[in-house]
Amino acid sequence: MRLHRVRRSMVAAASVTCMAVALLTGCGSDGGSEGGVTKLTFAASTLGDPGRGPLLTKWLEEFNKSQSKVQVSAAAVPYPTFGQTILTQMGSGKGPDLIRFDMPEFEAASDAGLIAPLNDLIDVSKYDLLKQPDQFMVHDGQRHGIIFEASNYAMFYNADLIPKPPTNYEEFFNTAKSLTKGDTYGLAFRQTEAEEAGVWQDIFNYVYGFGGAWSDGQKLTINSPANLKGLQAFKDLYDAKVIPRGADAATFRRMFAEGKVGMELNNGGYVTATRGQNADLNFNVAPIPFPVRKQGAILAPIVINEASPAKEAAATFIKWALEPNNQVKLQEILGASSVATVTKRSPEQLQKTPFLTVFDDLTESSLPQIVQGFEAKTPDIRKIVVQNVVAALQGTVDLKTALDRAQQQASQLVG
Amino acid sequence: MRPPHVGLTLRIIAVLVVLGIAVFPLYWMFVTALTNNSELFADKARLVPDFSQFGVFIDALAEGKATTWLRNSLVIAAGTTVLSIGLGIPLGYALSRFSFRGKALVAVVLLFTQMLPEALMVVPLFALFRRFDLLDSLGGLILVNSAFVLPIVALILKGAIDGLPRELEESARVDGARPLTVLTRINVPLIAPSLAATAVIAFFHAWNEYVFAVTFIFTPGMQPASVGIANFIGELGTPIQTVMAVAFMFTAPAVVFYLFVQKYVVAGMTAGAVKG
Repeated sequence: MRLHRVRRSMVAAASVTCMAVALLTGCGSDGGSEGGVTKLTFAASTLGDPGRGPLLTKWLEEFNKSQSKVQVSAAAVPYPTFGQTILTQMGSGKGPDLIRFDMPEFEAASDAGLIAPLNDLIDVSKYDLLKQPDQFMVHDGQRHGIIFEASNYAMFYNADLIPKPPTNYEEFFNTAKSLTKGDTYGLAFRQTEAEEAGVWQDIFNYVYGFGGAWSDGQKLTINSPANLKGLQAFKDLYDAKVIPRGADAATFRRMFAEGKVGMELNNGGYVTATRGQNADLNFNVAPIPFPVRKQGAILAPIVINEASPAKEAAATFIKWALEPNNQVKLQEILGASSVATVTKRSPEQLQKTPFLTVFDDLTESSLPQIVQGFEAKTPDIRKIVVQNVVAALQGTVDLKTALDRAQQQASQLVG
Repeated sequence: MRPPHVGLTLRIIAVLVVLGIAVFPLYWMFVTALTNNSELFADKARLVPDFSQFGVFIDALAEGKATTWLRNSLVIAAGTTVLSIGLGIPLGYALSRFSFRGKALVAVVLLFTQMLPEALMVVPLFALFRRFDLLDSLGGLILVNSAFVLPIVALILKGAIDGLPRELEESARVDGARPLTVLTRINVPLIAPSLAATAVIAFFHAWNEYVFAVTFIFTPGMQPASVGIANFIGELGTPIQTVMAVAFMFTAPAVVFYLFVQKYVVAGMTAGAVKG
């Protein structure tokens, strides 16, 4: 009897093992070309946004319908680990064919030779590209990307809570303080190391808005007096408890959409994302009220993976995206962002979103969130700066010491 | 003098408190999934689920993505459990019963592998898996998860086999049983509680694993639930109720698996405690 039970369990174990072996050998990846159709993958963190993601997916489907030789599908790479995951894949000769990068990762990938040069694949002279953001796409005469999205930072505010937006930092601080009561907060920003890239984007506006800069193009200036002033303003808001401390961006952005946060500094892409979460929210946009009219901009290039076996086909997609009609559609999907080419906003769009012009007027004073002169090292410098600033927020070290330490560590890193 | 039932009441309260701490995160996920937008960030948190919002679960399942992710997670976790235990038994047996040069070193190396963080191994393993065409496959994830969990499985099983009387094996050998027969028919049934404990460890490791899954899988339909849930976290917005609904569904199968093997695990933990 017992022997039978043991035999049965052995047969079961053998069967399961066979299944495991079959899985090991039979679950390999599909090829990139099938029946004369080249299949490409496109990775973009925006594809996961509740408002913009589904619209962008439809836009991709329009490309797939437009011709029969190349098909593009979305590669699902989660936003929290997007850059790290894609760079690991590309560094090992794999990864998606097309990628929408943020600038720090774009510069790192470009410097490492992971991005295919586009000079021979796309004739950009055919397109009326926006010069200001496009200048950052070319390195030493080699074009590595085409702007997919350019989005300036501005101040979003709940118009029901704030009838008149603040026009200077003092008013900004006081407005945030007066709104903070009960379950409502005056402001929100990222403040934990877990959101390193986000903290970098947020503090960028305070540093540049108070006349600072991460470098002078030749050497790092992380601990300059102007940077200290800007980051002290950031820390004062944190210390005043006018933000939902500990809440991540996913949470406080949802809070903004539900009217529980009064103000937020964010880029133009946030317009569609916010409407996607609450179409009834009455919000408006104004320039960031800091002493200097200089703010960050999200520049997100689309690039072709150097390891892609189908670069020509990938270029076909980019050329399709650059066509005027498709640029208009993309711009509408992206909200208040700009696209690669000079694309006018329709009267309907301006009527629906009158504050679009606020973003457009900021283009000349907006800067990509990279360290000028040390572009490829930006992700490493970002890590050092964010670690030290967060330490100062948490009170383990004073802000000046934190910035001095960041300056020393980053200087050692860049040599 | 304290009445006798006071002690019992205190013990029951203590158990309920511990149980509450353990179960509360799961309950909170469920309640948050069933909370409407206006109450999500309200001053007073909702403590009771609003079942009128149950559509969030149906919507999450209707798209089909969540069921695919859960199926993939199940395949990966079950495959890892089978493979790591299948390899862990002979390894544990060899370490327990055979004397060979470098035996202590093997045990130390096995322990050492547990000190390596996964993130450190992603790049070299990615290159290796690419060479052997194991990327973007559930089989590849089963292999890598098994490699990480095998040392701890083998060491636990070695400890369990150490506790078995050698006389049993000697008797079997006297009756003509070969070493493999001794292992499978004498030892394995006797270490069933330890096998259950290692199955739980292997299953949960693979079920929750994220770093390798997010890097090694490119096709959306091949992603496990640990990665799928992260896909909901957008750059500018996150559907919190949907995340909680899928996370709740992600937790449930693992809890069911644990309940299924629980009695063996408890037996494994107490095995040998009253050895005379």
